[in-house]
Amino acid sequence: MTVAAGIGYALLALGPSLSLFISVISKKPFLILTVLSSTLLWLVSLIVLSGVWRAFLPLKSTVWWPYALLIVSSVSFQEGLRILFWKVYKRLEDILDAFADRVSKPRLFLTDKMLIALAGGLGHGVAHAVFFCLSLLTPAFGPATFFVDSCSQIPFFLVSAIIALAFVTIHTFSMVIAFNGYAEGNRIDQFFVPIVHLVAGLVTLANFAYGGCIVGIPLLYLMALLTLLHCGKMVWRRLTENGSTQ
Amino acid sequence: MAQIQRPKSIIDSIGEEIIKILTPVSICMFIVVILVSILNADSSSASTTINTIATMPYTGTTSDSFWDKLKGALLNSFFFVAIVPVVTFDLVLLFYLRCTQFLKLYMDFSIPIDCFTFLVALFKFAVVGVLAVFMPKMAIFVKQVYLVVVGVLVAYWFTLLPEWTTWVLLVAMALYDLAAVLLPVGPLRLLFELAISRDEDVPALVYEARPVTNHDSGSGTVRNLGNGSQENLNFASVLDSSLTIGTVDVGHQTTRLVRAEEGQVMERNAELSAPLIDHRGGVQLHGQGDTVLSESLLLEDIGLGSTGAIKLGLGDFVFYSVLVGRAAMYDFMTAYACYLAIIAALGITLMLLAFYEKALPALPVSIVLGVLFYFLTRLLLEAFVVKCSLSLVMF
Repeated sequence: MTVAAGIGYALLALGPSLSLFISVISKKPFLILTVLSSTLLWLVSLIVLSGVWRAFLPLKSTVWWPYALLIVSSVSFQEGLRILFWKVYKRLEDILDAFADRVSKPRLFLTDKMLIALAGGLGHGVAHAVFFCLSLLTPAFGPATFFVDSCSQIPFFLVSAIIALAFVTIHTFSMVIAFNGYAEGNRIDQFFVPIVHLVAGLVTLANFAYGGCIVGIPLLYLMALLTLLHCGKMVWRRLTENGSTQ
Repeated sequence: MAQIQRPKSIIDSIGEEIIKILTPVSICMFIVVILVSILNADSSSASTTINTIATMPYTGTTSDSFWDKLKGALLNSFFFVAIVPVVTFDLVLLFYLRCTQFLKLYMDFSIPIDCFTFLVALFKFAVVGVLAVFMPKMAIFVKQVYLVVVGVLVAYWFTLLPEWTTWVLLVAMALYDLAAVLLPVGPLRLLFELAISRDEDVPALVYEARPVTNHDSGSGTVRNLGNGSQENLNFASVLDSSLTIGTVDVGHQTTRLVRAEEGQVMERNAELSAPLIDHRGGVQLHGQGDTVLSESLLLEDIGLGSTGAIKLGLGDFVFYSVLVGRAAMYDFMTAYACYLAIIAALGITLMLLAFYEKALPALPVSIVLGVLFYFLTRLLLEAFVVKCSLSLVMF
């Protein structure tokens, strides 16, 4: 609606990630590099998905099942990439540990590993927010606004920013859960992340119905809250285990 | 209760040099994107045709056909790229004849500055800036800021060119850069060899990222940030940086590079008895608007003038920002995609630099990746993402 509103929407979607970045990640250059590479990875995955789906693309916006197919395929592809990211990270961890031994500094701490996972997740989340929310915000800086049927009470930009915030949270913290799950071999954690991602994606299909966002957005935030709680519990458990053994 | 100081882990310091180069590049691109989106919002591309060297052969309108536009763009770029080697060879000749004073004076007048209405402010700014760039004792932060500002202005000026011309020009400059730096007859390579043989710097607009100094004092590491004119850089930091860049490289080259540096790292703590290490990497050289990235590891003595800095030519800044600015003129999605592509390519170039240890052209990889991502995003990604997010379907 105005520049102030446009900036407001952008901050709504990206505010927590910005504060996370400034307080935690900008202090360590390696984490900044991790954020940049995971953002790039997410972008590449999006480009591949859009390349595959381009041929089918002018999808009718009234029918919902092609979108379901789209979401399922995209989520599975991205979860596959997460496993690839994990493998690359394992290799990097070995190199970093070897380097640390050589310069006689301590090896990677548990908190370091979690910070790297957090940075990776933040990269994914920021990429999501930028491509799905910020890139559409350009008209929001002008004098008018836009409404959609599925959420006719609030402007489209606000809805999109709120959804983006939920997804940023989900992406950021599921990376921490996933990396921990792969490291410990914990089956629950390993399956938790793809399932939450898939459910969250499918929940947004509720936005097709008229007034659907009243159902869709709270469910989405439920998933985000679930991710946060699970991650918090897991981190607490790991840190207390680690602290008691040292 | 006593404060327990946790020993610093390695992820605190790895990748620092890369970030020190990425930050000014990002700032430059960001400012250009903001300028472009604010100032170019009202005018369409048809009305902003400017008369410059780059548009001499052809300034078309949007109603021209596809082939006309392509031909015109190729003609423009060919003309522009043909002029650049001529100028660069002049630079080589002047440097060869040791006319560095003349070069410095010429630089003063060739910095493009927009028409400000406050001449006094302009004059003061220009004086400070020129002093900052050319006097070696000036605070390095001022020099860095001035270089970034000059880069922003030049890049903004370039974004005023017609669209096709800009893209073809970028690709042409990348090819020229590749040739000029790597071919034995290229002007930039001749410039390097002259500078190396005389052991001095070419007077040109070069951005330098001074590394931090690391003193190993027992358990922790004390850090002094390299602000101000610090000529004394501990050679350990230089070796540390080269080791850093070498080991972050995930690949087969890692083990080879690490072993090569191993011997030098051992000497880090033996400050008094360490021998003179003359590890010459490439020398940093950049002509006017030419783009070379090199890491200079010239070490004279322990604790004396060593410039273990990564240097990036101002031309690199300009062309990266032109690419992102032009992408921003289409949409912010393309701008962000091109930004990520350029940063990734710059990272790759820095890895290659650490591996090959001679001057490398910084343009080709970035421009190729940037242009590739721009077209991929514009053609494929945009339709996909806009469709999804307009229906509020996200994943």
